[in-house]
Amino acid sequence: MRSSMSWSDLMEQEEFKVLTKDINIEGYAGIDVYFYSGGYRALRKALREMTPDGIIEEVKKSNLRGLGGAGFPTGVKWTFLPKETDKAKYLAVNVDEGEPGTFKDRYLLLNSPHLFLEGIIITCFALDIHTAYIYVRGEYVKPTQFLEKAIEEAYKEGILGKNIYGKGFDLDMILYKGAGAYICGEETAMLESLEGKKGWPRLKPPFPALKGLFDCPTLVNNVETLCFIPTIINMGGEQFANMGKGTSGGTRLFSLSGHVKRPGLYELPLGIPLRTIIYEYGGGIKNDYQLKAIIPGGSSSPVLSADEVDVNMDFDSIARIGSMLGSGAVIVMDEYTCMVEALLILIRFYAHESCGQCSPCREGCGWLEKILTRIVKGEGREQDADNLLRIADNIMGNTICPLGDAAALPVKSFVTKFRHEFEYYIREKRCKIENRHPLILL
Amino acid sequence: MHTLTIDGKEIRVKENTTILEAAKQAGIEIPHYCYHPGLSIAGNCRICLVEIEGVPKLQISCYTLVSDGIKVHTQSERVRKARQAVLEFLLINHPLDCPVCDQAGECYLQIYYMKYGQYNSAFLEDKVKKHKAIPIGPTIMLDSERCILCGRCVRFCDEISKTSELGIFNRGDRSEIFLSPGQELNNRYSGNVADICPVGALTDRDFRFKCRVWYLKETPSICPGCSMGCNISIHYNLDRAYKASGKRVMRLKPRFNEEVNKWWLCDEGRYGYKFIDENRIERPYIQKQGAREPISWDDIMMEAAKILKSYSPESIGVIASPQCTNEDNFVLKRLFSEYLGISKIDYRVPSKLAQSGDDFLIRADKNPNSTGCKELGLLPSIAGLNVENMLKEVEEKKIRVLYLINHDLVKHMGKEAVNRALDSLDFLIVQGSNVNETTEFADLLLPAATYAEKNGTFINESKRVQKINRAFEPLGESLPDWKIFLKLAEEMGIALEYRNEEEIFADIAKEFELFEGLSYSFVGDEGVNLI
Amino acid sequence: MSEKVEFSEEAKKKLEGLLALYGRVRREQTVLPVLNLAQEEFGFISQEVEEYVARLLELPVVKIHNAVTFYTMYHKKEVGKYHLQVCRNLPCALCGCTEIIMHLCKRLGIKVGETTPDKKFTLTTVECLGACDTGPNIRINDVYHRKLTKEGVDEILDELE
Repeated sequence: MRSSMSWSDLMEQEEFKVLTKDINIEGYAGIDVYFYSGGYRALRKALREMTPDGIIEEVKKSNLRGLGGAGFPTGVKWTFLPKETDKAKYLAVNVDEGEPGTFKDRYLLLNSPHLFLEGIIITCFALDIHTAYIYVRGEYVKPTQFLEKAIEEAYKEGILGKNIYGKGFDLDMILYKGAGAYICGEETAMLESLEGKKGWPRLKPPFPALKGLFDCPTLVNNVETLCFIPTIINMGGEQFANMGKGTSGGTRLFSLSGHVKRPGLYELPLGIPLRTIIYEYGGGIKNDYQLKAIIPGGSSSPVLSADEVDVNMDFDSIARIGSMLGSGAVIVMDEYTCMVEALLILIRFYAHESCGQCSPCREGCGWLEKILTRIVKGEGREQDADNLLRIADNIMGNTICPLGDAAALPVKSFVTKFRHEFEYYIREKRCKIENRHPLILL
Repeated sequence: MHTLTIDGKEIRVKENTTILEAAKQAGIEIPHYCYHPGLSIAGNCRICLVEIEGVPKLQISCYTLVSDGIKVHTQSERVRKARQAVLEFLLINHPLDCPVCDQAGECYLQIYYMKYGQYNSAFLEDKVKKHKAIPIGPTIMLDSERCILCGRCVRFCDEISKTSELGIFNRGDRSEIFLSPGQELNNRYSGNVADICPVGALTDRDFRFKCRVWYLKETPSICPGCSMGCNISIHYNLDRAYKASGKRVMRLKPRFNEEVNKWWLCDEGRYGYKFIDENRIERPYIQKQGAREPISWDDIMMEAAKILKSYSPESIGVIASPQCTNEDNFVLKRLFSEYLGISKIDYRVPSKLAQSGDDFLIRADKNPNSTGCKELGLLPSIAGLNVENMLKEVEEKKIRVLYLINHDLVKHMGKEAVNRALDSLDFLIVQGSNVNETTEFADLLLPAATYAEKNGTFINESKRVQKINRAFEPLGESLPDWKIFLKLAEEMGIALEYRNEEEIFADIAKEFELFEGLSYSFVGDEGVNLI
Repeated sequence: MSEKVEFSEEAKKKLEGLLALYGRVRREQTVLPVLNLAQEEFGFISQEVEEYVARLLELPVVKIHNAVTFYTMYHKKEVGKYHLQVCRNLPCALCGCTEIIMHLCKRLGIKVGETTPDKKFTLTTVECLGACDTGPNIRINDVYHRKLTKEGVDEILDELE
């Protein structure tokens, strides 16, 4: 078993490529090749040999975590849906991939839409759900077309619709396109958007599991999370768990971008050291410059300095050093990156995407952007660095949804870990780094 | 029932009570903007955050329900810090408009800043610019820069007036409350949004720049606009006559009454106060040889008494008013019916005006005391001699004198009908507060006080008796209707005396079973339902 | 725009499909799909289009206006034939998107947010497009063009009529 293998053994044998094993087979996005490569085997197993409760058990055992960003244990989340209810139950799949640095969901839709469908159908069977909505961000036109085609093929083959595989299980799948709003990646904002309204997150409780879409019990899951369900059914939950580390089971897709030689998507076991991702798989820093900072889990996760690169990439380990695994988006920054300007780019993003509903995020993000802009323009004031931290602290924990925190965490981590750069910029009215990468146009 | 401890105080509350409501019951104020008891909960301002022991994050008290045994802190250091943080966020883009903003003195940014803020501003940036001083309808002025986006106005238009004229558009700190494209804020309840706006973003155009609110005095009363009897507060200024050209009433505001109008007031009622200070009949007048001359009270009483004495009771008609209080009408009845034996008394003037009500606060009967008139029996004792028939008898010269109280016959019945009647009439005595198209025909014109200038009671359409209160003295030489009747009685040698309205009401309570046991203190400020 | 706003026959058929699919639980759900259709049909969402959609869906206009002002993909003004959307977020910035943006500004002679006088190109910067490994990225109307260089951008623009 895996526990006796070293990391290098594991990497060599590449036994952990469970999600993307066949993804490079030509035509895998079409149902024929998918069938031929063993696709929908898990679905047949689930429908014919397993019970809904049995499936939920396997998913719980697998330690599969939410891979959209929150990392909540998926199996546990499934149990929040009421078994007995006279309301309709829904699945709402979140394909509003918008976390900067993340591009895995787009990839999955383009290359393995049927794996995605299989995951959805098994999930719905396990939870007695008969209508699944897929919310795709509006910009993903081609992935949506691929998904539409796959859904058509699935209906034709009787894998969707009435009486799937003759087991009396009906499932309808409805695609819904977003229209450009990062906040609709938050689960309740997504539900609002799915109901045709603007994406204003809802107050919680009640949670979507009790009152979600149209006030009915709704399960919200990310694409990648659901793509792992067929694998878990095929190999069993325990084996999947053992591929990972601690409470983070299995593998996941890491989106690697920034100053690395080989940016791209890498399916790797949870718990793999960050250094391995960047240097072994990413090929090291572009131009062989020095590593300076890494954002480990999408822009909302606290930044790591270069000396933190040995952290293990599983949910618990990275939480222990004060950051997050998030969406698994690793953004690498080299020594010529101005951290002040990099932060401004991120905060500008959050200020642009803030829905505006609650006062700390609405006013606070705008304020943070204005201060950082002023600093970058050479008009910084002495109290700015402390003020940035204070504002971030005032936003954290006081908002309706995590977007406020998502803006505050980068501010706190950047300003704390790279304080000297901020102070220099404020004092000298320019970036400390000669020949820095031009990151921003003002 | 649940027990909770809030700031060390233990109280018991019903199930499904929010922490904010529980705090209110315990006498503890938690600041809030977006929460309003008459609207759905939004939870977006975040200033009502409180600390609950055992819960890691602060929770909004307007939304979080009390569960048994929780311990809540509203004054801890964490809560104070969060409150100040929220206040700071709301103020960073807020324009420095206090010197020119009508809300000053009743503005909850000011009030909460003095209570919970008092920090040094750290904002050095340019503020976000939005729409400024835009009239969004006939009654309301919008200033989006002042807006804190609590959304109360939007929820009001969605849930109460159900007209959805307002929305919150755009995103982030560019969010703005504005009109739906192509629309105007012109529903019949539009004035309420200025009441519920905690800041000066939505202000009343009628009140704009009229008077600083700290100069205003308040008196509780009842709106005389229709038979709904919405509870109001008269806001007036007596000390600074240079404001609003000496007019006393500055504005009306709704007064909360759970049974009648809750927190709301219709626009007709809200803006229908001008008559208190405009177009008043300020002194008695007599018509002599085609000209109108001022005359003293003593003299006009003499004339009136002379007329009433020289005609038989059957040839006198009295048109009473459902605008008058029960006290006015009771004295009227005693004088005219009991003492003078006049039976042709009615209050129901048929109207050809199209007057509509709705299923909310507006009623088609535009009089506050029709029910009062009915219960006090101001109906003709000879069956069938209502106002219409009275006028017919006038034309037939059976009625020779008409005593008209607080009516505008021309407005409701048309100039032609009235003229026809008046041609045949010997004397028209008019008693009223305001000049109207009918008063010009009066032979004797007696100035009456408005509802704001006397005490009394009205009974609304649901048979609820409610008190009106005197805010200030009657204008000029005008007098409350009941006092005029007493003066007339005195002149005619009739021993009819009351010192004040409360005494009249006590007599009403004695005489009418329906009013048994009632007194002013029992009716109080909230009113009482007669069964 | 004095002409009355109305969907073409083809769009009306699509509309029926949308209403059937999304209107079954709550009619409000049709707002986004119908606005997507309206933008396809009319190029951008003017006030007249908003009022038209509101009438079609029997909803108060405010519900339409909410969506139009909230979501960035709805254009409230006319855009050029080719809408050039350059990602400006961090991963693309780290790969040199500012160079691409400046190059486009120079080549087209316009600033970010503007449209060329011949109404052929509108240049905007957008947030993360979800293609961070191949930055700098540009989205031209519905199509992604990735791994951009100045020369690459020129080639792409040269091919667009």
